Amino acid sequence: MMLIHCPYCDEKRPEIEFAYAGEAHIARPDAAEQQEMSDAQWSEFLFIRDNKRGEHCERWWHANGCNMFFNAVRNTVTDKFVKTYKMGQKRPSASQISKWNEGGNV
Amino acid sequence: MSFDIKIDQGVEIPEVLQSGRVVAELAGEKVRLSLRVKSADRTAVAKALGFTLPAKIGATSSKVGITCACLGPDEWIVIADQDKGGKLYGKALKLASKYDMSVTDVSFRNIGITVTGEGAADMINVGCPLDLRLAAFPVGSCTRSVYEAVPILLYRRAEDSFTVECWRSFAPYVVGLMAAHRSGAAST
Repeated sequence: MMLIHCPYCDEKRPEIEFAYAGEAHIARPDAAEQQEMSDAQWSEFLFIRDNKRGEHCERWWHANGCNMFFNAVRNTVTDKFVKTYKMGQKRPSASQISKWNEGGNV
Repeated sequence: MSFDIKIDQGVEIPEVLQSGRVVAELAGEKVRLSLRVKSADRTAVAKALGFTLPAKIGATSSKVGITCACLGPDEWIVIADQDKGGKLYGKALKLASKYDMSVTDVSFRNIGITVTGEGAADMINVGCPLDLRLAAFPVGSCTRSVYEAVPILLYRRAEDSFTVECWRSFAPYVVGLMAAHRSGAAST
């Protein structure tokens, strides 16, 4: 069990309250764009992910808490949560992530 | 809509939880309203309802017979005694047509179990991994969390007094677990 910082509750809460919700910052094409997309493009949007080794931007859901989705930078090797941030904030740059990394675990 | 319905809660507090240092009791039927209010309308809606909608997640406000807890950035739950609830629901429904908000009657979703006595926090901590020290979870705090694997609403009424709310159909499991922990059956 880990403690995860929820950016909405602004508290570290037990991992069991959260659910993982896949890679972050994948924009859903709007209805008009979907009409234009080929099956291959659509399946890429649905299923193809970076599956990154290392710092990964991903969505988490505080299901048994404030019920909000938020984003997190988590190291997929060490399981370290580098930073969690609210929905709508831009994907952090590599230099930003390394700066956060020096600050220790969140 | 009538809030006078008395339905069998279908839950009995096991004997082992009825006496001793920490005692569990059923909280009785309450009116529960789920409010979603856009932040711009929060203070206006609160003023019209007659109690505060706290802005901070986990905070509560209360007046006689009514407790209101902020569960998410735009989500509140109001738990009221039955004699207050019907009127409150009507009032909130009227407000919902005027403001950017929704109100849903969720009275029969949950039942409340009060856990009171010295060491109540320890007893809840057996199944709930929240930090329940007073500094981290002061009197008046309310949040969703889990008890064992069951989603709960936890409200600290006083230092040694909590209300645990869970979905009605899961209440026998929750009180059963509490009893098992108390009697030591879960660890044998």
